[in-house]
Formats: sequence, C-alpha cells, structure tokens
Amino acid sequence: MSDPRVTGAIRYAQDVEFEGMLHARVLRSPYPHARVLHVDTSAVPDHIVALTPEDVRGLGSYGCQIKDQSVLAVDRVRFAGDPVVAVAAPTRLEAEEALSLIDVEYETLPSVYDAVEAASEGAPLVHEHHPISDNDAAYFGMRPQQGTNICHRFRIWHGNIQEGFDKAEVIVEEMYRTAGAQHAHMEPHASVALWRGDRLEIWTGTQTPFNLRMDLAGIFGIPEDRIRIICPPMGGAFGAKTFVRYEAIVACLARKAGCPVKIVLDRNEEWLTLNRHPAILRIRLGARADGILVAKQVECWVDTGAYADCGPGVAQKMGYAAVGPYRIPHVWVDSHCIYTNLPPNGAFRGYGAMQAVWASERTMDLLAQQLNVDPLELRLKNVLLDGDRFCTGEVMHDVHFIECLTAVADKIGWADHQAGKGLCVLMKGMQTPSRASIVVVANDDGTYDVHCATAEMGQGAWRSMRLMAAELLNVEPNRVHFPIPDTDIVPYDTRTTSSRSTYMMGRALVEAVRDLKKRGEIGYGECVNKGGLDPDTGQGIASTHWHQGAAAVKVQVDEETGKFQIGKLHTSIYAGRVVNRPGAELQNEGSMIMGIGTALFEGITFADGQVTNANLSDYNIPAAGDIPDITHDLLEREGAEIHGLGETALPPVPAAIGNALYSLGIHVTELPMSAEAVLNAIDHKQTQHAAHDGTASNPHKR
Amino acid sequence: MNIHYKVNGARVEVEVDPDEMLLEVLRRDLDLRSVRTTCGVGVCGACTALIDGEPVSTCIYLAPLADGCEITTVEGLGSDHPVQRAFEEEHAFQCGYCTPGMILTVKTLLEENPHPSDEEIKVALGGNLCRCGCYVKIINAVKRAAAAYSGDPSLVR
Amino acid sequence: MARNGPEWLAPTTLEEALELRARYGDEATVVAGGTFIGILMSQKIMIPGVLLVLRNVRELVFITGNQFDRTTTGGSPLRIGAMTTHRAVERSAVIRQHWPILAYTFSLVASPRVRNQATVGGVLADADYASDPPALLHALDARAIARSVDGEREIPVEELITGYYETSLRPNELLVEVRIPPGVERAVYRKFRSRSSEDRPCVAVAAAQTNGKLRVVVGAVAERPQYFPDICSLAYGHQLSRELATEIGHRYAESIHPISDARGSAEYRRRVIAVEVRRALEDLLSGSLSGASRESSIGGLHIEGED
Repeated sequence: MSDPRVTGAIRYAQDVEFEGMLHARVLRSPYPHARVLHVDTSAVPDHIVALTPEDVRGLGSYGCQIKDQSVLAVDRVRFAGDPVVAVAAPTRLEAEEALSLIDVEYETLPSVYDAVEAASEGAPLVHEHHPISDNDAAYFGMRPQQGTNICHRFRIWHGNIQEGFDKAEVIVEEMYRTAGAQHAHMEPHASVALWRGDRLEIWTGTQTPFNLRMDLAGIFGIPEDRIRIICPPMGGAFGAKTFVRYEAIVACLARKAGCPVKIVLDRNEEWLTLNRHPAILRIRLGARADGILVAKQVECWVDTGAYADCGPGVAQKMGYAAVGPYRIPHVWVDSHCIYTNLPPNGAFRGYGAMQAVWASERTMDLLAQQLNVDPLELRLKNVLLDGDRFCTGEVMHDVHFIECLTAVADKIGWADHQAGKGLCVLMKGMQTPSRASIVVVANDDGTYDVHCATAEMGQGAWRSMRLMAAELLNVEPNRVHFPIPDTDIVPYDTRTTSSRSTYMMGRALVEAVRDLKKRGEIGYGECVNKGGLDPDTGQGIASTHWHQGAAAVKVQVDEETGKFQIGKLHTSIYAGRVVNRPGAELQNEGSMIMGIGTALFEGITFADGQVTNANLSDYNIPAAGDIPDITHDLLEREGAEIHGLGETALPPVPAAIGNALYSLGIHVTELPMSAEAVLNAIDHKQTQHAAHDGTASNPHKR
Repeated sequence: MNIHYKVNGARVEVEVDPDEMLLEVLRRDLDLRSVRTTCGVGVCGACTALIDGEPVSTCIYLAPLADGCEITTVEGLGSDHPVQRAFEEEHAFQCGYCTPGMILTVKTLLEENPHPSDEEIKVALGGNLCRCGCYVKIINAVKRAAAAYSGDPSLVR
Repeated sequence: MARNGPEWLAPTTLEEALELRARYGDEATVVAGGTFIGILMSQKIMIPGVLLVLRNVRELVFITGNQFDRTTTGGSPLRIGAMTTHRAVERSAVIRQHWPILAYTFSLVASPRVRNQATVGGVLADADYASDPPALLHALDARAIARSVDGEREIPVEELITGYYETSLRPNELLVEVRIPPGVERAVYRKFRSRSSEDRPCVAVAAAQTNGKLRVVVGAVAERPQYFPDICSLAYGHQLSRELATEIGHRYAESIHPISDARGSAEYRRRVIAVEVRRALEDLLSGSLSGASRESSIGGLHIEGED
C-alpha cells in the first residue's frame, strides 16, 4: 500500500472532473489603471458562455479585510492583469480562442507603482473608498485612511520614543527594500464550481474554506449553508491559495452556463493573482554605550497592490515583527498598507516577518559595528526572556532565543572567527485571536474519522492530525482516517495559515477525544485563542505564543563578480513538541530553501506596471544545485506546547546571509542580494577604504 | 492524426491534433494524472514522462513526435519500485506534485550511474523543481535507491 | 471537435525533406528536436500553419570522422549530423575521448530532458543568444553544412548566426551537419550564471587555441556570439600570460554592448565579461603543453595537445 504521492494516484483540484464540465479562461486588462468603457462579446460563438462586468455588477463586493473587490473589474481596472471578462467553453483551447474575439475599450488613467509614492500627497488613488470587511479574516481593528491609498495603518506606541533616543548614546538608521515574490507552488490555482439546485458547490485548492464561504455568501447574497466548499489536497500553496481567488468567477460562469465550470491557471497568470508584499522599511535603533537597547523606531511601507487582500494583516505583523525579540523600553512603529496599480499581494509564507526580520536584524549588525561589539553578544544581551514584556505590553513565556542563537553560533564556529559569517534571531506571531474546532467519529469497524477543516498543502497536516488522534485514541495511525475537508461536514476553523493548525487543532482534538469517550459515537472539541492588538497603540496580545528561531550562515564571496556561495547554513527552531518528525524536518528544510530563494534571486520585476518575468525560466526558484550544506535542529522542551513550524525557518535566512556579507564590509540593504548588488556594495566598500586611507572601521576586527 | 504509442506496456491508438502536446494526450485521453500541468515551458519537470526510457518534458513535446514510441509514466512503475520505496522511506516529498517527475528522473539516473556522487545527483535533478524544498531528503532517497541498484544488476543498463 | 491544426509533414529521407523545404520555404516551420518550437507553441508565441518534421530522417543522425587527429592540419574534421541530440554528443564515447570540450559544453545545456530532445542542428538554427553550443562551436571554427535542392553550402558558425533567433539559412535550406575542423590544441568553456544553477547564463566564454591561433567567443550577452579577431591577435606568437589574459578581457568588455535583463545590467555584464574572459584564458594557460592528460573541471574541460 504505497503513498499516493509516489504512485501518482493523488488527485488535486485540477483533476476534478464532472460530466458536461466547461473550461474557463479569463480576459485580463492590459492596462495598470483604466476606465472600462465598453465590453463587446458579440463575436463569441453561442455555445461559449461569456461572463461580463454587467453580469456581475449587481453582486456583492468582497475582500477578506477590506471589501474592495468585485467578481470582475466593473467600470475600472486597477492592475495590468485585472480580470474583465471570463468565458467557459467545452475545451480550454476554445475558451482561449474565444478571448481573442472579445473587444474591450479602455480609457487609461494615471497609475502608481511604488508604495512610498502611492502614500504621498497627490498620488493617483487606486480606490476612492476603503470599506472594512465583515469577513472573519478582518479580525483586528482596521484603520483605513480614507482619501488616500493607505488602506490600513498600524501603530505601536510603547514608552516615549523621543525620550528613548535622547537617552541613546549610539544611534544607527537605515532604509531597506524587499522585492515582491511569487509563491510558485507547483500546482497552479484550480477551482471547479457547480450549482446543485440553489446550492453552490465548489471544489478548490484553498487554505481558507470558511473565509471563502463567507465571502461567496456575501457575493451571491445567499446564506452560508447554501454553499459547500470541498478541499482536495494542494500541490503547494504557501499562502497563495487563500480567500476568494477564482471561485466566484467559476461560480458565476457555472450559474450562467447551467453546468459545472473548471478553471486551471496558466503559469504566467500566477504572477497576476497573488504575490508577496514588496516593502520599504526604515529602522532607527538607539542603544547605550554598553549595548543595551533603548529606542527603536520603525516605519513600514507595505505595497499591497491593487486590492488589499490580507495586506492590512501583513502590515500589522510586519510592524511588530520588525521590533524583534528584544527588550526595548521605547518603541514607535508606524506600518502602512498601501495600494498601488500592481497585481494584488497577500499571504506569503512568513507573512510580513521576512521583510521585518531582514530590516531589523541587519540593523542589529549595523549597531554592533558602531558599538564595536560582537553581534552575538549584542543580541544575547538584549533578547527577551520569560517574564519580560514585549513592546505590545504582553508578557513573554516559553521563549528560547538564547538557546537558538547559541546553537546556531556554535554550529558555524562563531567563537573561532566571524569574518564571512552572519547571525539572525527572530520571533513571529501566530494568528491571534482564532478558533479551531474538530469532530471525531467512531466507526463500527473500529476505525475513526477526523472531521477537520485543516487544508493539506504538503505541510503534512493531515498526517500530523492522524498521528495525534491515534495517540489520544490509543490505536494504530492506520485506523484513523482524515477525509478531505468539506464544509458541509467539518466544523469551523479560522483557516490553515500562520503555522497554527497543529497547535490549535491539536488542542481541539484533545477536547474532541475526551468528548468522544464520554458520548461514545462522536466527539466535538474546540480551541479558542484570545487576544489582539489595538491598532492605534499596538498594545494587547499579538500572539498566544511565539514562533522562535535563529539562523547562522557562512559565505564565500567572489569579489570580482559579486557572486557568493553559502558555505553552511544552520537554523535552530523552537518546536516545543514535535508531532511528526519527518514532516517537521521537511518544513524546516523547505522554509530554509525558500529563504535562500528570497535571499539570492527571487524578485518580481516590473516595467510600467507589467510583470516582466512571469514564468519559471525568467523567475528563478531554488533548484537542487542551489542547495548548500544546510542543517537544522528542532528545539523541544518537556511538557511544552506544540509550536508551529511551517514558516519560522524562512525569515532568518536572508538576514543571516546579509549579515555575513556585512561582516566582510559588504553592505546590502535590498532583497534579493543579487550578484550585481553585491558587486556594487564591494565597490562602495573599496571606495570607502580608499577614502579613509585604509583606516576606516574594520568590520573584520572582532 | 492517428498516433500509436505503447504506454506503460499497453498498446494504444489515439487521435491527436498535430499541435497538441503529449502532456494533454496522456492526461485527457489516457487518464494518466501523474504528469501535471505546471510551468508550460519545460523547466520544472512535473510533466516528465519517459520516451523509450529517456525523460522528456511532455508539456512541450508535440504528441505526434512520440509516434511508435514506448512511453512510461509513474503509473507504469506500479507501487513497489525501488525508487518509489526509497522516496517513501526517506520521506522525500511533501505536496507530492513534483514527485513522479523526480522518481522517473532518478530511475534513469541510477540505470546509467548506480553510484552517483552528491554533485552528480544535483546535476541530474537540476531540472526537477520542488517548491516545497524537499531536495535534502530527495538526495537521501537517491542514495538509498542507489544501494538497491548496486545490489540488483538487472536494474542497471 | 473539428479544428484546423497545422499540417504535419514527416519526410523519411533527406531528399524528401529538401523537396518539401524547397516547396514550402519559410511557410513551413522546421521541427528538429522540437524543444524550442514546443515552448513557442505551448506559450502561443507561434501558431504555425505547417510543420516540417525531421524526426524520421535518420540519415541526419551520426557522429563520424575517419581519424580523430585533432591537432594536425590535414586530419579529418569531426562530423555530427544535425539531428544528433545533445545527449548523444554528451554520451558519445568517441567525443568524450577525443573532443571532451564538446561533450562537456553540450552537457551544460538546460536539463537532461531538454538534452534528450534538442539537436545539434536545432540549437544552431534557433540562434538563441543564450545557448551554449553556438559560442563554443564558433570558437572551434566549426562549419554548418546547409543543403538544398540546389546543392550544399559550408557556412562558418561565425557567419551562420546573424541576430536574435536569426540565421543566414535560406528559405530552401536545411542545416544537415556540423563539422569541427582538426587542429584544436586546447579549449575551454565557462558558463557564468548570476542566479540559480539552473538559470540561463549571464555571460559565457568559449576559448580555443587552434594551430597556434587563439579564438575567444563571448556568448549570452548580445544578439550573436561576440568574437574580435583583432583583440585575439594580441596573443599570436606570444606566450599567453596573465597580463595578456587581463588585457584581452578588458578589451572584450570594452568592445561589447551587452544586454540588460533580470540576470544583470549591461554594466554588470561588461564587468563580468572582463573577468570571465581572463579566467577562460587562465584556464587555457593552466593546461600543460605536453602529454596527453585530459581532465574535466567545473570551469572547463581541457584537452591537451599531443607532442
């Protein structure tokens, strides 16, 4: 009985078939910002169904946090790639051909492609108004700045920032940029919709069935229980398969056509669907002469593209993650989620932490250099300990930053010498508040069914759930089944993001098994984690518990070309308790490898609002030959809570590499760290040395 | 056009358009789903099938070009091939989407070179992308499978 | 479902193929291995009306030469049929032994899947500016043999590739063979990728010493492989030293107008050209002049001259 992944028997959303099913394709705006004047589908053959803006004008708008989307762009397109018309035909090829028969007239409008520019006075507005969504995913106070392109502003006020900098004896300040990135999950987005009477049934690769159901209900103006979402396993997702993507379009086509409709995206369309937020961060960090941190000021400009999606949430998480795992009495964070006329950005593994950690941890090394102290010592001196308060006011517990840092530093022989080596320590939050519920059913044949909305995207969630249930029920894992999630059957779950599922569902499972033992046939369990932050002060509970880790890396640089090799990369990640060891290792390794991609060569390139590298040849993702010597350890503690591992090992990788280059005097502030950027930084270093007659502060001197 | 293949040991005859790619024919006409629609430009390897024992990207392979050839997909390996077993034992997959392509590529690597070095493995697998990032365990799986190949000369060319 | 797909012409002999080529000219898209055309068609960049498929023309698949006397003029050229795959070149015992630089360079192209399909003739006829074999073949002074119903023409690779995806092949001609002349003493190929190990090259350098004459060809930076005989002539009759290698590198960098793309700006490419040309020449230098050692390295394959 072999695993269906090695026999090829596994079935993804793209494999779902129904009798009489049609295939959909989308016609997209060629312009980044324009009024839609006229749509003419008269040349489309009769047997092909065309869905036009007029067809969807009366439907509800949607958006997981800001309600700024419509099923198709009505009256106005906001990014080059914005869907305007959709068709469904008996074959994909016919649907493709039909697109070229559609005529759309546009009137272009001024557009903006940079977050700082878009946030400035006089920038063209992408949306005139920013209505807050009532979707569950809008779980925190939202602060849209009406009349601007800022759809959310998150602030942290902790202590008195001016006082803090007055006390500081050394201050460093720097500005950082991170490029957008594409999730590049191997399986493209795929959804199938059909109406059974007045019920909508969707088969789709999604991480967020209940949020999706909620938005679809709002779109069609029907109760949620008239919508059924079925979730096949996904060929990777990493945040891209969240909320409404193409489900509303295929649902509308299916209703108009009177038969099931499937869409499977072409690869290049993935760059026009959802990407990672590019960000600009300015960090100002002050310390006493003895290295104790006193003040930190963070500003984030988060480019959310033409539609907010979960950009507000990302801006918020980026805001507090940029403070870092440190005791800092005076903190001021101002994080803005900003519209531009680029494809929408949304959840991406790390969820704001990557950008934040890049800026924050690079700045720590700048400070270490100014103070002339060991970057490891500077961190060890300031990291949060159990009982310390974070800048949100919450008390830290179960934190292991010192252990993680020490482990990685040892692994690369930090004590021996530091030239060419870099460190990073991070903390990132878990979705708080949230709710998970689960049902366990005892079958007559002695097997059990776990009804759980957790999505499988390769992270091994279904296996972990089965292992945990088997342990609680005291049976062999093969006696526990995990049917694919179906919202008609599974109870509510916030969503499968933010590395929360093993922990939250694990706790719900304990309750469910307890309940099952009492009731006999069926058991229900729930886990709720409370908390949240005031968006104007950043005070409250950001996270029930913290995902923690550290990374250390050794690099070798070819100073003639700027190309560098990673000699060794090691991460130490706090797991609390490991449930599925091979799965945990795979998640760490996978996160680190994705971190290498972000660090070295992943970046979406644009020209006048058009993506210029929308394919897997021009956009590189890590291949087997890009893997250096990579190792990791999973820190566990007796009796500790399960800590999610899906993302933690990604954010520290770029920062550790950036710091390793910095130890050689090579100061790079933008991601990716291309060979060209490194060569330019080497030139700069050499110019500086020349200018100071070789007596400039020497970063090697540690 | 009427095209004849031998697919996973069985003779088949299919009607194809001259500009159709083999990937589409395998999935739609022969219901072989282990070959998958992914990058469309032949770089990721998730559409890999063997044609007369050699891996090709079926997404850019004109279907008539394989007329008269033997085509192998992972469905044709059954469920207990040494490479499949090695992948399972080493947990060398997560979402599973790229896995068939990996398995077929590893099979042909080991048939030709039953003792590959780490470097040779990385070069041979360079064209098989895994976004989940399972390369570390995939390399371990190749080495485990290599041991099986060393022990069984009938597997090697 | 009735639709008009392209016409599929599949000759079984070269004669038949040439007749069809003469009849259709550029109206028919020639399909050799089919990888390049496959990508263009899969992405709907090209929608051909007629396909002239050479797959069954078995007489175009061969690797021959009477005598692999590479180093003496008067020896026979290495002849490779246009429909020979990259993989066949990579694996050929005869090429690995006597022309290891060819086996090495062809092995660098893309992935094993591409190499199983792509052909020696196809890669030249495609004239993809980033391909590896054209730059190397250029450095080896290789000739493309073009045939038509009117006869045969020998086209130096230098003259074959005229621009981005453009060749000097006439509409009635088919590329049938590639010939590498004897006399090559040493050759190297360096492929510099600025990003992933699977990326197309940012800068590539082929360098060969043939009958005492140095040829340096830089690929992947402009519409066609870049060769400057006057710069290379600096090396004629002189011992190739590090200083000379550096000078040649600088001059090449100054003489080329490289492209800018995701792999690097024009300015960056210029800097890398200077460095990689120098390194290619250093690789050439480090080969000893006597003895018959053949070693392969990541930087390049050295083939030694025989005394």
